[in-house]
Amino acid sequence: MARRKTVVIGFLGSVLDGGMGPERWDRWRPTVDLCRHEDFLVDRLDLLTQKKFNHILDRVTQDIAGISPETQVVPHLCELKDPWDFEEVYGALHDFAAGYDFRMAEDDYYIHITTGTHVAQICLFLLTESGRLPGRLLQTMPPPGHRRSAPGGLSVIDLDLSKYDRIAGRFEQEKKDSLTFLKGGISTRNRAFNDMIAEIEHISISSSAPILLMGPTGAGKSQLARRIFELKKSRRQITGEFVELNCATLRGDSAMSALFGHVKGAFTGASTSRDGLLRRANGGLLLLDEIGELGLDEQSMLLRALEDKRFLPVGADTESSSDFQLIAGTNRDLQRAVQDGLFREDLLARINLWTFHLPALRDRPEDIEPNIAFELEAISRRINKKLAFSREAYETYLAFARSDRGLWRSNFRDLNASITRMGTLAEGGRITGTLVSREIERLERLWVRPEGATTQPATFADLPPQHPCGELDLFDRMQLASVLEVCRDSRSLSEAGRKLFSSSRNRKRSVNDADRLRKYLLRHGLTWETIGGAYRAPAGGE
Amino acid sequence: MILLDGSTGEGGGQVLRTALSLSMVTRTPFVIENIRAKRRRPGLMRQHLTALAAAQAICHATVEGGELGSCRLQFTPGPVRGGKYRFAVGTAGSATLVLQTVLPALMIAGEPSELQLSGGTHNPFAPPYPHLAECFLPWINKMGPRVEAELHRPGFYPAGGGEFSVRIEPCSRLAPIDIAARGTIVRRTARILVAGLASGIAERQRELLMQWTTLGSEDIVVEILPNSVGPGNAVVLSLQAEHITEILVGCGEKELSSAAMIERLVKEMRTYISSNAPVGRHLADQLLLPMALAGSGRFVTMPLSSHAQTNIEVIRRFLSVPIVAVSQPDGLAEVQIGR
Repeated sequence: MARRKTVVIGFLGSVLDGGMGPERWDRWRPTVDLCRHEDFLVDRLDLLTQKKFNHILDRVTQDIAGISPETQVVPHLCELKDPWDFEEVYGALHDFAAGYDFRMAEDDYYIHITTGTHVAQICLFLLTESGRLPGRLLQTMPPPGHRRSAPGGLSVIDLDLSKYDRIAGRFEQEKKDSLTFLKGGISTRNRAFNDMIAEIEHISISSSAPILLMGPTGAGKSQLARRIFELKKSRRQITGEFVELNCATLRGDSAMSALFGHVKGAFTGASTSRDGLLRRANGGLLLLDEIGELGLDEQSMLLRALEDKRFLPVGADTESSSDFQLIAGTNRDLQRAVQDGLFREDLLARINLWTFHLPALRDRPEDIEPNIAFELEAISRRINKKLAFSREAYETYLAFARSDRGLWRSNFRDLNASITRMGTLAEGGRITGTLVSREIERLERLWVRPEGATTQPATFADLPPQHPCGELDLFDRMQLASVLEVCRDSRSLSEAGRKLFSSSRNRKRSVNDADRLRKYLLRHGLTWETIGGAYRAPAGGE
Repeated sequence: MILLDGSTGEGGGQVLRTALSLSMVTRTPFVIENIRAKRRRPGLMRQHLTALAAAQAICHATVEGGELGSCRLQFTPGPVRGGKYRFAVGTAGSATLVLQTVLPALMIAGEPSELQLSGGTHNPFAPPYPHLAECFLPWINKMGPRVEAELHRPGFYPAGGGEFSVRIEPCSRLAPIDIAARGTIVRRTARILVAGLASGIAERQRELLMQWTTLGSEDIVVEILPNSVGPGNAVVLSLQAEHITEILVGCGEKELSSAAMIERLVKEMRTYISSNAPVGRHLADQLLLPMALAGSGRFVTMPLSSHAQTNIEVIRRFLSVPIVAVSQPDGLAEVQIGR
């Protein structure tokens, strides 16, 4: 087999390679020096040069013939009006590369970047990096002062960074950090989940195409989207904001306006203009959760915004523009929504380039333990109390959580609420067996769907285990659940009372709303302390 | 097939060149492994490749692993053919080393040869041309062949570009030589060679030589070399004794002052003179191989250098002729070749 030839492409340095008299041998001339290394043999040297430097070219060619008779010097005329003009130099080098007959099977190419202007070096780098000059960069440097007549240094820079151990190690660590970050610092063990996160990490960093996150409620879609945003931001791939919208909250006319904005006077009440969320997400990341809930009109406008980065605000004559990355979330089967005519097929095609199914918590039993640890720590920090399970309690809870009985219908939302409850009730931060068995009962009740009910408010969990009046009608049950929900969202009994009785409150002059609510709760065997108070104001609430 | 370890002894180039010479002469293939294994940059370097290419050219050898950086080389020689050859040596590497490699085969080849060699001729890391022409070749000629060298242009480090030609009239059988004694030194002269440098350097060196040796101004000649490619400077001391002429050469280097260079040279001269040995260090290295080919001979020299010892090791692998170095009471070594 014939030996592969070493071919070096580089500029003749009008300054560094210059010198006519014998004193030129006292100086380091990169192009000449390149040819006198004992361990590097240049078979062919393709020198980019200009007519006006012919005298230097001749001298350099002669000198190379003397020190390296094996080397063939081939000049290439490359006339440059201004060697500091990026556009001109890049164009000239691009032409050179395009017209060059690269024989990859026979030759090894090196791009010598030590000579030429800095602009020329930048252009050579760019052309090499993009593969138009299919070689490795070659950098030479002068010998140290005390060995002035020895050949200088020579180093080959391979732009395939994975070939450098220490750099590769750095990337490995960076990747590991990114993965941990995307998992929110939780060392998950589920293989499928971890593989999915690794794929998301890769895609987040290398693409800005839309991502579709599918999965049941509470599976962490929104958190994951936010972490993808943070990751991209830390890599300086994104400059704008994180904008989040749950499409299920959009209703009627305001939907268009909320997303795409409106101009002043676009409709009654539009007294000022509004930018809309798409515009706000310009340069950033837009999370549209429950995208299946979006109306068809909004869908077509969104499609246009994704394809052309342009859209028309309500009432406007001219289009607005916004360049954002979209992450869509859904727990609906969008294919089916397409079949039912509820979702545009072209929009689905546009957003499901990268689709990921976030598994439900009960499908990742091995991840329950690290998530419990994570929640426990997060809640400890939030309520400023060091929380710990007793050993027995922990084993009971974990066994339940991982068993078939652990339905985790709202996934992480359920787990978070469950640990929050136990943590709040834990005396001295100790979560005991009793607390755990009461919590398990609560969870099981929460997950039992009453007959005929299609949806179930989360607050059913808070219904007392033993109701004083026995089994409640669904009618009463739903009323009680809604009342409890308002209580949970209120800071005090009085606030909850004001909300619940706001209409009658306006009619009557003075009514003790809090007292009315207290009495209602009592009829169901409940007190503020055992429900709302337990969540919001452990110190006593009202 | 002879197997050599390139990491032993002096290693590297010397083992390779000696092996190439002997392989061609004896038509014995060899493999050399671990070439320069202990060096920072292991494997074959360019100067080795030029010697290899020259050897390959004159005997149509089959070569495996003859690439830059290769740590294993297999050389299978064909018949040696004298004739006209041109060898160009790069990186100011020495053309004299290439000559040394091919000379043994060509001086006993079936036909005469004319060699054109270009590259370094006066450089500090290899036998300088004056030593080759005035010290080594006269002894080769005494062994039978007629070898004449002519310098057309000096090649100094780092520019190189020197040229010399060598005409070789081979002989069928090498005659043994015996260099047992030096005799009285009858004449000492010095030549100061300068190319492309201020003439003040030559004057300074002349003064130093006169100050530190018994050389008078009439014994010292300054030669300005007009046709050198690059700048350079060398001082050639010639010590003519009754039975042998020793040549010592100091080469100017960029980082070496004139005073340091002359001091080193004068020291070398004093060591040689006071030793009373007829054969100097470098000549001893170079004579071992041709004398071993002659089958017998003898010379007295200063204690053997590690270079010479490495040479002997390699020669023993190719030739069955005994080589014995006997230390003498006066510190000299008598090298006896054959019985």
